[in-house]
Amino acid sequence: MENMISVPMKARVDVPLEGEISRSLPDQMGNVAGAHSAELHQRLLETGGRMDSMGPLKKVYVFWLPGMSCDGCSVSTIGATEPSIEELLTGALPGVPVMILHHYQFQMESGDHFTHLLEQADAGALDAPYIIVYEGSIPDENLTVGTEPWAAKGSLPLWAPADQRQRRSTSEWVRRLAPEAAVTIAIGTCATWGGIPASLGNPTGAISMMDFLGKDYRSALGLPVVNVPGCPPIGDDFTETVTLLLKFMNGQGPLPDFDELGRPAWQFGETVHLHCPRGAWYEEGNFAREFGGKECLAEIGCWGPVVNCHITERGFINGKGGCMVAGGACIGCMSPGFPDKFTPFYKRPPQTTPATTLSRMHGALTKPLRRTTQLERNREPRWKSDATSGWAPQYDNVTLFHRSFEYFYTRIQYFRSELPGRNEKDEEKYASGYVVPPEAAYGKHYAQWLPERRAEEARKRGTYQRPGLSPQADGFETPVQDDQE
Amino acid sequence: MCFQNLPIEFDALGNARLKEGLDPYAYQTRDLDRSKVEKLLASNGHVKDINLDPVTRVAGALSFHTVVDLEAGKVLEAHSIATLFRGYEVILKGRDPRDAMFISSRVCGVCGGVHSVASSLAMEMAFGIGVPPMGGALRNIQLALDFMVDNPVHLYLLAGPDYSQVVIERTNPSLWEAAKKTETRHGDVHGFKTMAELFTALNPLTGKLYLEGLQMTRPAKEAYAILYGKYPHPQTVVPGGLSTTVSLQVLNETQLRIIRTLDYAKRGVFIWDDITEFFYDADSRYQQIGTRPKNLIDTGMWDDPYAYDGTYAGAPEWGERRWATPGVIIDGELVTTNLHHINMGMEEFVEHSYYDGWEDDGVPFRTDPAGNPIGPNHPWNKETKPRSDQRNWKDRYTWSTAPRWDRQVVEAGAYARLWTTAAAAKMPHTRFLQATGTSVKIDTPQTAALPAMEFEWKIPETWNAFERNRARAYHIVYSLMVAYENVQIAFDLMGQGENKAATMTEFRVPRNERVGVGFWGAGRGFLTHHLVMDKGVLTNYQIVTPSTFNASPADPFGQPGPYEEAVVNTPILEEFDSGDTFTGIDIFRAIRSFDPCMPCTVHIANGRDMIMQDVTTCACGAA
Repeated sequence: MENMISVPMKARVDVPLEGEISRSLPDQMGNVAGAHSAELHQRLLETGGRMDSMGPLKKVYVFWLPGMSCDGCSVSTIGATEPSIEELLTGALPGVPVMILHHYQFQMESGDHFTHLLEQADAGALDAPYIIVYEGSIPDENLTVGTEPWAAKGSLPLWAPADQRQRRSTSEWVRRLAPEAAVTIAIGTCATWGGIPASLGNPTGAISMMDFLGKDYRSALGLPVVNVPGCPPIGDDFTETVTLLLKFMNGQGPLPDFDELGRPAWQFGETVHLHCPRGAWYEEGNFAREFGGKECLAEIGCWGPVVNCHITERGFINGKGGCMVAGGACIGCMSPGFPDKFTPFYKRPPQTTPATTLSRMHGALTKPLRRTTQLERNREPRWKSDATSGWAPQYDNVTLFHRSFEYFYTRIQYFRSELPGRNEKDEEKYASGYVVPPEAAYGKHYAQWLPERRAEEARKRGTYQRPGLSPQADGFETPVQDDQE
Repeated sequence: MCFQNLPIEFDALGNARLKEGLDPYAYQTRDLDRSKVEKLLASNGHVKDINLDPVTRVAGALSFHTVVDLEAGKVLEAHSIATLFRGYEVILKGRDPRDAMFISSRVCGVCGGVHSVASSLAMEMAFGIGVPPMGGALRNIQLALDFMVDNPVHLYLLAGPDYSQVVIERTNPSLWEAAKKTETRHGDVHGFKTMAELFTALNPLTGKLYLEGLQMTRPAKEAYAILYGKYPHPQTVVPGGLSTTVSLQVLNETQLRIIRTLDYAKRGVFIWDDITEFFYDADSRYQQIGTRPKNLIDTGMWDDPYAYDGTYAGAPEWGERRWATPGVIIDGELVTTNLHHINMGMEEFVEHSYYDGWEDDGVPFRTDPAGNPIGPNHPWNKETKPRSDQRNWKDRYTWSTAPRWDRQVVEAGAYARLWTTAAAAKMPHTRFLQATGTSVKIDTPQTAALPAMEFEWKIPETWNAFERNRARAYHIVYSLMVAYENVQIAFDLMGQGENKAATMTEFRVPRNERVGVGFWGAGRGFLTHHLVMDKGVLTNYQIVTPSTFNASPADPFGQPGPYEEAVVNTPILEEFDSGDTFTGIDIFRAIRSFDPCMPCTVHIANGRDMIMQDVTTCACGAA
């Protein structure tokens, strides 16, 4: 196992010193609950009921290890709803084993008690399989040999007095826990590809989880590192992947598909542009020239057409949001190479101008055709010459061009098929009797009259309210009262 | 005037100038004396050296070292340790300034959006551009939405479990007995009849308030995603405003989510009022948990969309028109509300952090753009060189620096801005909010479950962990009403046909040397971004965050940081038989009351000599 690690970690020594007596458990300091979070989980498990019979696993430990992270992936995950984190934690999903999350932001206990469970996992002493989730990039701890690590969790060994302990780097935890983990998941762009801490000019030598574990790494389930990228990742992408993996481990579903970079294939299979609500602006050759424009953002620096992601389809949280949906240009945060392959942000990417020029040419042809068709389609069949509303006077003016266009268009549209309708006379169509439309009786501008005027004109004409007919037909707003007058 | 320790004096017109002297900013480093503690540790079994690594239920990587006298119930010594280092400012150096918005946002995943905006504020100052009113209003909404996530997450998911049944039952059995008998004061509002019921609802995973903390913060995140694309790192922040496509749909969906969370926020105030009063009544010594001098600082935030012009010269004027007034409180007294004074007084020290000093590199700026003197330790002059080292309590022990204001230990927090706003009574917007000099009043409209209510947050007499949490609950309501008012402004602007949220379409990055600073706020206090740019690229980028202030180690004058000071002042009130059953709950309550957020605490400035040059064993080729 040692040789698969690309970065040798020899600095952290945690064998007992001579003369030390190993303690089986640390004292209560830091354990404000007087018990581990596991105990709280146990309460949930005991009330699991029928769920126990679905699959061999009752619970799965999830160790959330933060490397050089900003916690954004955690924050993003607690916003997820498909499923939500509380559904996973409380056993609300039948067939999915309860997730016993060991996370520094949610754990009841601090200090040695927190570290203790990690140590147990390392020693293979857990009573259920475990998954590790790594957030943040992995710094090169060779640079800090003998001094403070760049990123660390816990001081070890637990039995030693404080001044003899070494702080254990998170990369060391990964090195120890990854081989036996059922699955290792890298969440967020830092863990999947390196992200900003690994960008050019960084002082810590940071790399990604899959680079760190190397080509030959396979988890206990036989998978290389599963990557859920994003800065921040979509919370749902992560919880969905974890749920599907848990279902698989419990024999309740298939192994999810992963693409060539270990991403969930159904989430990252296509570019974000293909799902983008502004993508059709691109197709017609319309581009935002300023911030806040509603058109395609390609020319203000959007990398969407070349970045694998589906935020514009899924939304960011609960179906809402998404970068381009809101008006933010894609900066490639889900992509390997972020940020350096995409900077300077808001500068037009090199491929954009040729592509958008072609798109403009295409748009110049399709747009007039579509707009002409739209003018005729955007009209009720009844509005032959008159739209009878207070809106849009241009609907009243139908030119000869449009009439003839519409004539031929309809011929093509219904070529070898039948026009809908029975072609009966109006009197035959309506069982309750045909009423002359008010426009026919009162003139073209009937619709623009105020209700009082309609009533007055109706009274002048002597029309009265007939049963079973719509009151508007006779020009009465409140026909019954009017009648009584 | 406002400075006691810095060599700055003011003339009759109020203009600042440097006092005479050879090297006015020079200071003598005082060594930390541990001999007493070491002696006690060696001779007494009840004095325990305790290492809390890591401290959980805080954002990011924090560990804490304390020496506790278990018999006397006293904390003798405390060290706050930031345990993560990423080097963001190194990465930013030499980049196009526009990259800073997106890169600096990734400094913190809890409050990324506010970093993004602080960065764009700094750029606006450097580029000399303003923001259209719509952009200003939407930025204010964004900030308030951020708090609607941050503050409840802290109150119910991170700090809340410290006040839950499972904890109190075991750490203070007598308190739990009392809780079972005590009726809540506001049971009619929040529905918990006894305190025991309320504490049970705070239980992790199973408690109602805990689960609500996850669920009720989602609408705010949705609104945030509607306006900014995603949360926590927004995608639509640009220098000069926002690239959001503003429509009535966007405003409607945002406003609805603000209103829908208002009920929840209103209830929270009563919950935390009840918790605070219960502990005070049970034992008045709880007023000493996490207590420290009333020294607080905030730069204010929520710009008046019509007053903000993005200039440094105008900062005192537009600063005071903010919905939260900038200010510094020293010993409970407001000493200034002027953003220039706040900026001048800021210094960062690294004597006890894993960094080398920068005194050999000269001082690029003797004054700020308005001619006020600034010292060599000011962020615009800071030049930090990271150097990992062995931990030594007398020497260096953390990745966090020690920022100070006027060389005094000040703390930042959501409550700091309520405090400065209340004390200054300059906040000009009175539609729902009013600052009276001793309190802030918040008028809330009727919502689905609760009637119209008026809240009043009074400047507390004692300053401790409970008051921090209580103020945070008020702060949620306060910020939601600011958001509500700003949505109304946005609707009005739409009515006037003003839907443009950003100033520029094409960036013209200046080629000459420029400086800029952004004063903005996060859920746990204010933050500043100081930038220096030249030839179109960043030459220095400095981020000072609230937790850099709060988690700071001792400064060269021997004064401990706010976490350390608060923990040392904390009496041990839990009930335990022996050292083995001691859990340290009181210490945790003190630390967590600050809402520690470590990711952004640690960052470094550019260094001319990169430590990488010493290293030849880098396996990944990044050297």
